[in-house]
Amino acid sequence: MGEEVAALRRELRGLIADHVPADFLGAFTDDPADLATAQAFCRTLAERGLLCMAWPTEWGGRDASLWEQTALREEMWAHHEPRGAQYMGVNWVGPTILRHGTPAQQQLHLPTISSGAAIWCQGFSEPDSGSDLASLRMAAVRDGDGWRVTGQKIWTSYATMAQWCFLLARTSTGERKQQGLTIFLVPMSREGIEVRPIANMLGPHHLNEVFFDDVWVTPDEVLGRLDEGWSVVQEVLAFERVGIARYARCERLLAWAPGALGDEWDSVPAELRSRWARMLVHARRARLLAYRVVDLQGQGRVRPGDAAAYRIAVTRLDQESASVLMEIAGRLRGRDENARRFVRAVEDHWRYAQASTVASGSIEMQRILLSRSLLAAP
Amino acid sequence: MNLDLGPEALEYGATARRALEAAGGDELLRTAEREPERRDDVIGSLLAALGAWELTPREHPEELEAAAALCRSAGSVALPYPVAERLSRSSDLDADGLIVVSDANPAAPIAGSALRWTALDAEGRRSAVTACVPTGPARTSSFVGRLELEPLDDRGAGDLALAVVLPCWTLLGMLDRALELVRAYVLDRQQFGQPIAAFQGVQFQLTDAEVERAGLEELAKYALWSIEVGRPEAADDALALRLAAIEAADIVFRVAHQLHGAIGFCDETTLSWLSRYSGPLRRLPFGPAETGDLLMRRLGRSGLVGIFGGGS
Repeated sequence: MGEEVAALRRELRGLIADHVPADFLGAFTDDPADLATAQAFCRTLAERGLLCMAWPTEWGGRDASLWEQTALREEMWAHHEPRGAQYMGVNWVGPTILRHGTPAQQQLHLPTISSGAAIWCQGFSEPDSGSDLASLRMAAVRDGDGWRVTGQKIWTSYATMAQWCFLLARTSTGERKQQGLTIFLVPMSREGIEVRPIANMLGPHHLNEVFFDDVWVTPDEVLGRLDEGWSVVQEVLAFERVGIARYARCERLLAWAPGALGDEWDSVPAELRSRWARMLVHARRARLLAYRVVDLQGQGRVRPGDAAAYRIAVTRLDQESASVLMEIAGRLRGRDENARRFVRAVEDHWRYAQASTVASGSIEMQRILLSRSLLAAP
Repeated sequence: MNLDLGPEALEYGATARRALEAAGGDELLRTAEREPERRDDVIGSLLAALGAWELTPREHPEELEAAAALCRSAGSVALPYPVAERLSRSSDLDADGLIVVSDANPAAPIAGSALRWTALDAEGRRSAVTACVPTGPARTSSFVGRLELEPLDDRGAGDLALAVVLPCWTLLGMLDRALELVRAYVLDRQQFGQPIAAFQGVQFQLTDAEVERAGLEELAKYALWSIEVGRPEAADDALALRLAAIEAADIVFRVAHQLHGAIGFCDETTLSWLSRYSGPLRRLPFGPAETGDLLMRRLGRSGLVGIFGGGS
């Protein structure tokens, strides 16, 4: 990847070592200090132009290359995403506003995202519209020069802490279900919005229901063109083509295992150590598939099937490596500080991994995308 | 990070595939099975005409890539000839090819070969080879016979990576072809009034196979690059590739057979031949358990070199 990327990686690891506690397992735990750590870390990154490094310099970025962005994604996910909820604003809300927002919307939102001040949530899924997102029913009904929004969103991460919602609602009914959808940038403090957390195995803040009851939205909160939100959503998903660098956390934990076990490593059954080696190979394989997508992205040649193949491989890696790591962690007898941290990190990884084939586009959707591309005429 | 083969290597591989097709393509294997004694002459000469034996992959990076591309093309028609093994020959020994062997049961698909072969084990010990006659006909032996070894030296550790990697490129060519065949078949085969490709149960199996094939392709390019730039851990990278290659082959061929149904086992389908002749590459020199064990022992506590492992 070159010396620039290696230097960035060193810089990021240095910042993590200095600003993130060694036992940090993400912003969303029962301890509010973890969220505070993430928010402070975002400001630290922002001060160095690292939070939104892919953005143009005029909006607080530094025009980072795709490979620098890749290294950032890897380092953040490997270290339990110390940006907390910010990745959403940084990775796709901001870039979408850059592309489709009015000058006023850009002035309002981009500085707060690039400084790490604003947290966004994504109002997409509904109880009856998951993978079939375009079938959503939340209605925005014309009322004077604005709209009244009523309906329910679900699985909305960070809704309890977000200041803004990137909301997709139906403003009309077209011939096709993809028509008549509009994106609104709505403040979560608006009257009529109620958030109800859903208790879940991933921890607090990850899953919420958001109820909209006659919520007033205005024309200057519409992003892009009225009724044409679906094409913007497709673009949003394109910003996230490579998705989360899940392989980086797998690789870090797998590399950590022998050190965490110390002398006990030699008594781990050879069969389990073989599975560990196999997972290292799978982690490398997933990383190389991600790099292939990044490379194609750089050439403007990426197809949905390429990204889907990577995501299938990486989500399986997540779950299979979690299983191997749990078995290794279960053998730990000595409980020094390093071992204790390893066990906690593995336990956290295992819980998250169970959701990896569901979150951000289920593995079935990825298989549908890949099979379409495989079966399409050459 | 672009690990793709260079344009010259890709062109060479494509030229080789066209030449193999022109010489009979899949028919080369069927002929070799009927007349095993002729395969050295017929296929060896065909590859000589392509300049294959002038390639020096251990000396020149661009020829290393060309060698990989040639192996992949050879794999696409299950070419019954030890191409990768000849291209892997040691540069400091007077021999025509190099075969990696397991100490437990040295064997290779070189039955009837008049060439001079060297064997290499995972510890870097090299031996002169006498190939025994296979115990059965080519149809069941796939030209594999036991090898008798006469120890030469223990200076072959540096030869290991290439000799493991190039056969994986051959296997990759076989998986490319198996996927091509199964794709064409599911689009063509009609059941319940529609191509079976319309069924999600079929589509999802196809994606499982493609994920394996695509992942193997990236690891194959990586392991080749590792040799090209002289990384000290090139042999680890080669074994990592081999482990993934065997796993990928198991899944791709299982899916290809399943989706072809009974016709996939018949001699009239190319899949049947490809599947049978992929056997030696998947089994020799080490199967999945032994490859995994070998890799694990080599890695020790340090893991594969990556963004976090191997002391990075």
